[in-house]
Amino acid sequence: MTDNLRITMTDLDDIDLSPADFLHPLFKKKVPHGDVFEASRAGDITRLTYLLESGINVNARDQWDSVALYYACLAGHLDAVKLLLENGAICSEHTFDGDRCHYAALNLKVRKLLKAFEARPPPLGPLAGDLREMFLGCLVNRSCLELVDGESQFTGDVSTGAPSPGSFPPDVTFYIHGRPIEAHRVILSARSPYLKKKFQTDWKTRKEIKFSKEKLSYPAFYSLIHFFYSDRLEIAVDDMEDLARICKVCKCESLQRIIEKEVTHQKYADYKSLQDLDNSQRRYILQGSSLPEEDRLPAALSRLLNVSLDNSIKEEKCDDTVPRIEGLKLSEFEDDLADVCIKVDDKIFRCHQVILASRSEYFKTRLSRMEDFREGKDGLPDYNLPVLEERDLSMEAFEKMIEYMYTDSLKDIDPDQAEEMFDAASRYLLFPLKRAVADALLPHLENVPPSELCHWLILSDLYGVLKIREYCLDIIASNFETFADTREFRTMLLTLPPPSGDSSLRTTIPNAPGAEMKMTEGNILDDLREKWLEVEAGELDKRDEDVLLFDKRLEMLMLVAEKEQSAE
Amino acid sequence: MSSSNNNNNKYCEEEEEEDIFYGRRNNKKKRMFEIEAFKHKVVVDPKYGDKTWMILEHAINQIYNHNASHLSFEQLYRNAYNMVLHKFGETLYTGLISTMTSHLTAMSQCIENTHGEMFLEELNSKWTDHNKALHMIRDILMYMDRTYIPSNRKTPVHELGLSLWTENVIHLSGIQTRLRTTLLQLIHKERTGQVVNRGLMKNIIKMLSDLGPLVYQVDFEIPFLEASGEFYKVESQNFIECCECGEYLQKADRRLQEEIDRVSHYLDTKSESKIVHVVEKEMIENHMTRLVHMENSGLVKMLVDDKYEDLRRIYNLFHRVPNGHVTIRDVMTSYLRETGKQLVTDPEKLKDPVEFVQCLLDKKDKYDEIISLSFSNDKTFQNALNSSFEYFINLNPRSPEYISLFVDDKLRKGSKGVSEDDVEVVFDKVMMLFRYLHEKDVFEKYYKQHLAKRLLAGKDVSDDAERSLVLKLKTECGYQFTSKLEGMFTDIKTSQDTMEGFYSTHGTDLGDGPTLAVQVLTTGSWPTQSCVACNLPTELLSLCDKFRSYYLGIHSGRKLSWQTNMGTADLKANFGKGQKHELTVSTYQMCVLMLFNNADQITYKEIEQATEIPSLDLKRCLQSMACVKGKNVLKKEPMSKDIEEEDVFLVNDKFTSKFYKVKIGTVVAQKESEPEKVETRQRVDEDRKPQIEAAIVRIMKARKVLDHNNIISEVAKQLQPRFLANPSEIKKRIESLIEREFLERDASDRKLYKYLA
Repeated sequence: MTDNLRITMTDLDDIDLSPADFLHPLFKKKVPHGDVFEASRAGDITRLTYLLESGINVNARDQWDSVALYYACLAGHLDAVKLLLENGAICSEHTFDGDRCHYAALNLKVRKLLKAFEARPPPLGPLAGDLREMFLGCLVNRSCLELVDGESQFTGDVSTGAPSPGSFPPDVTFYIHGRPIEAHRVILSARSPYLKKKFQTDWKTRKEIKFSKEKLSYPAFYSLIHFFYSDRLEIAVDDMEDLARICKVCKCESLQRIIEKEVTHQKYADYKSLQDLDNSQRRYILQGSSLPEEDRLPAALSRLLNVSLDNSIKEEKCDDTVPRIEGLKLSEFEDDLADVCIKVDDKIFRCHQVILASRSEYFKTRLSRMEDFREGKDGLPDYNLPVLEERDLSMEAFEKMIEYMYTDSLKDIDPDQAEEMFDAASRYLLFPLKRAVADALLPHLENVPPSELCHWLILSDLYGVLKIREYCLDIIASNFETFADTREFRTMLLTLPPPSGDSSLRTTIPNAPGAEMKMTEGNILDDLREKWLEVEAGELDKRDEDVLLFDKRLEMLMLVAEKEQSAE
Repeated sequence: MSSSNNNNNKYCEEEEEEDIFYGRRNNKKKRMFEIEAFKHKVVVDPKYGDKTWMILEHAINQIYNHNASHLSFEQLYRNAYNMVLHKFGETLYTGLISTMTSHLTAMSQCIENTHGEMFLEELNSKWTDHNKALHMIRDILMYMDRTYIPSNRKTPVHELGLSLWTENVIHLSGIQTRLRTTLLQLIHKERTGQVVNRGLMKNIIKMLSDLGPLVYQVDFEIPFLEASGEFYKVESQNFIECCECGEYLQKADRRLQEEIDRVSHYLDTKSESKIVHVVEKEMIENHMTRLVHMENSGLVKMLVDDKYEDLRRIYNLFHRVPNGHVTIRDVMTSYLRETGKQLVTDPEKLKDPVEFVQCLLDKKDKYDEIISLSFSNDKTFQNALNSSFEYFINLNPRSPEYISLFVDDKLRKGSKGVSEDDVEVVFDKVMMLFRYLHEKDVFEKYYKQHLAKRLLAGKDVSDDAERSLVLKLKTECGYQFTSKLEGMFTDIKTSQDTMEGFYSTHGTDLGDGPTLAVQVLTTGSWPTQSCVACNLPTELLSLCDKFRSYYLGIHSGRKLSWQTNMGTADLKANFGKGQKHELTVSTYQMCVLMLFNNADQITYKEIEQATEIPSLDLKRCLQSMACVKGKNVLKKEPMSKDIEEEDVFLVNDKFTSKFYKVKIGTVVAQKESEPEKVETRQRVDEDRKPQIEAAIVRIMKARKVLDHNNIISEVAKQLQPRFLANPSEIKKRIESLIEREFLERDASDRKLYKYLA
């Protein structure tokens, strides 16, 4: 939550609303047992937070056809509106719900807030966000998006054919009435049983698939593919019937049901637009969270991962260097659609290039650099997939890591594993993973001895895990004397760079927004001093004296530590 | 950082280098980090940084030597990652700079040592090498790029590589100037028609623009533009000395195209506007006036010869430079005014009004064509054309009359072999000219006269053509302008009805007498001249009286007066050898001829007395009957051209004609004679007076109080669609209104007028 909070604090600057606007002057009714609609209407943040965390669908409509955001806008609860928006409530113009919210907004502040969120990239999880970028990274797709947006701009990039830096080469191109969409088989197979079957049979070797059926409309198909990647559907109302048909063919049943229901709804929907709009402008937006859990992107990829993991081979650590892989297994393995093997420790993991590449820049580079370096050339014999070897990593950690890469979630992290996970996260440039691990680790830290806490402090500083570092510093600052008595703490002091004596570096205002950013590479002891001052020190003049006092104390502790060391 | 594994063969040199820092992790030992972890410092081997850097440096060298395929990306990345993680980022970064610098220095040596042509090729190949290596190095050092560099505000690896290249290769004194001169020489070669290696040029220039806009500009673009300016200055000077305007423009156009082509082939797209500007400035802007005014081939010549192609080119090219179009337009306008003025004042042309208007129309067509074909229908040019026409058409005060005559001619001659559509087209064009006229009321006056003649003579070809023209005038000038014209049409129509009525009531009791056709013309709608009624022959008088009593019986309270000067008559005549002819004559002529029923020989005096026709008209009508060959039904003594008071007339018994019907026209000047013109003018002026007064009163009614200058300007503005009011005339009208107590002068300020309601 703290992380979330920081983002919103900085965001406030550019939407031109003062933080004071969010401190609601009105009395807040509490609805401890209300549903999300009641909570939004009442502006009961506590209840709303609870409900949102429990995973309800923020975009659901009640019996009056209204969404929670609508009630919050109507009642003018700025904080509730913000909370809902941050949790993925849709407020886009020309959608039924979005227009209603804009229309119902109690005052200009609410409207401004809606506008600010509308202009933002859609709130997607890291996984969906990364995959969406991958999809849009394909030049063909992006130019289509621009066409949809009305800015037709075929620049020279297309002709030169140079892949843009953000893209990973797609392995299949659909042509619908001549207009192309590029995609990756793996993603489509994971999302649609029909497409999966097709890719295993008819389309197995084809790179280009052409459709020219009248009924298959390009915008609908594009929207669906985009949805497969990003778990977010955005479509013109006109195309929805086409989409429902495509869904039926592709066997995306839950999506089909929702779309069909929505089509009937749209027929009678009365748009509350601020401006007139014609039918073609109307849009419908669906967040993945409206679907049942098992039909969302993470679940689909998780299934894919499980199949791949089952197929992955654990090498017996025997002396023969030639891995024993029977040729007969090759054909069986095809059902996981893996296109790369990663050898970690003793195990060969079957993975998917597109997912690795979209989640980690390291893997993207590595996969595209297979030609230039030694890797990829010494692939295992009898094995037709490229094999990459990752060293200095346990297979357990790697398994956890790919679990996160595929599903955006981490289940039961062992605190002992945490360190290695931090290492992997920073090494593979998977920064969101660090946060996920930290979240899993925090409860564990509450009952560790001071000595271990020092260890975590060092670790978190090394890997730049702000959350843990902050936590450790807080604990140490508030229990400074306890730590001073701990030998490990004193020893640690010796290993740290000395605090800077320059008082100008210190912030006089404790905990100013943005201060955390500096800490990444900040001096631990400087930060500790700040924290300590926050807890212990007096005001203004006294503060400087306290600083000196603290520095003295540290020096003393270090002396003790040195003595202890030499005594050994 | 776990330090639990330092007991695991830590710096095991005989194993692969990559395992210097970590041993393979052993999971069973994971639990050990607790307390022992801090007995041993986290700091590792102090030489760790240097050792790892050695590996990386070696790798970088290998990459530069094209041996990358023996390297393991994973290992290198991991090493770089560990270095940064353990705060050896600084070592890594500075090491990178120095290694790269040394490689680049070596490369620059190679490049410098090349001779002649090979220089660019070598530079290009070295650049490709460096670029490739740089990408690989960047990928290996990705972790540093992502963490160490932003937090320490250093230059990212790729940009660093580029700036090092700039510094160590491009900006080396031995290379910098050589590169610049080589490039400029090559471009010069290409301009002079030689073939150069465009692919190579493209690569080199791409390199410069990759190195940043500043490098591209300083090292290439600015000198390139300067050299181009110089080149085109000289070239354009040469061209202009020896070429015609059209030819020069062709060359300029081609050069321009070449430069745009060049940009698309191997320059940065941002340079296009700049180089194009240079060419425009040197080739067009600097020679603009000279080109336009070139003797025998300049703009005027093109206009005269209808050189659409050249005109289009000049239009398009001059469009690129400021004031280009203004220059063309000015020249065109002044030429148009000059020639137009000659045209309207040319006494030869003035002799034939039809010819005169036709010339104007042709001129208009010609320039319309030029503007639509060559000047892409530019509005400003159309406006210039219109203002020029307006200017010179109004130079000749007789233009309104001539235009009306032209229309008259077209309508009289009628659509013999001309389709109605064509007539429409001609009328549309005439309306264009009409729009230019300042004195539209003068036109109206003449038009009315001519229309009256056509209507009364029953000569109008088609009612449709007449009406369509009236409709055009109506859309142009409003209802007021044409209401009287339309009244004339209605009069003719009602007259037909009246005559039918007359004959159906009186038909029986008229017997074999002459047939009468009366056209009742509403006073005011028609351009009637107050004329003295002549004495009609007795045969007719009774008939006329009958009609008069019939007409007044139907319409009470009206007054009829005979316009004998406008009528016609058909006479049956027997000549000497028993020849019978039907003569179509005017009313006057009829009166004269009827006298010969009772006498063989009559003197002029007697005729004048008997008929009381005004002498001027009488002379004309006698002249037409006695002096025109083939129509001479009368003989005159003596046989002279002009009619004298003492002349004697007798019937010409020897009159012969091939036709049974003979039409005897009156000798009438189509163009107005001088006194008539003055008279028309006076009438026009007279008509204007009430209009001016009406305008003044309208304005003052709205404003109540207004000063003199404003009244003048507002009145002029209001009357503009009809005519240009003369300020002094307006002033006179104001005074007249003051006299009649519509207005009064303000007591304190004499310049102010007040409206008295």
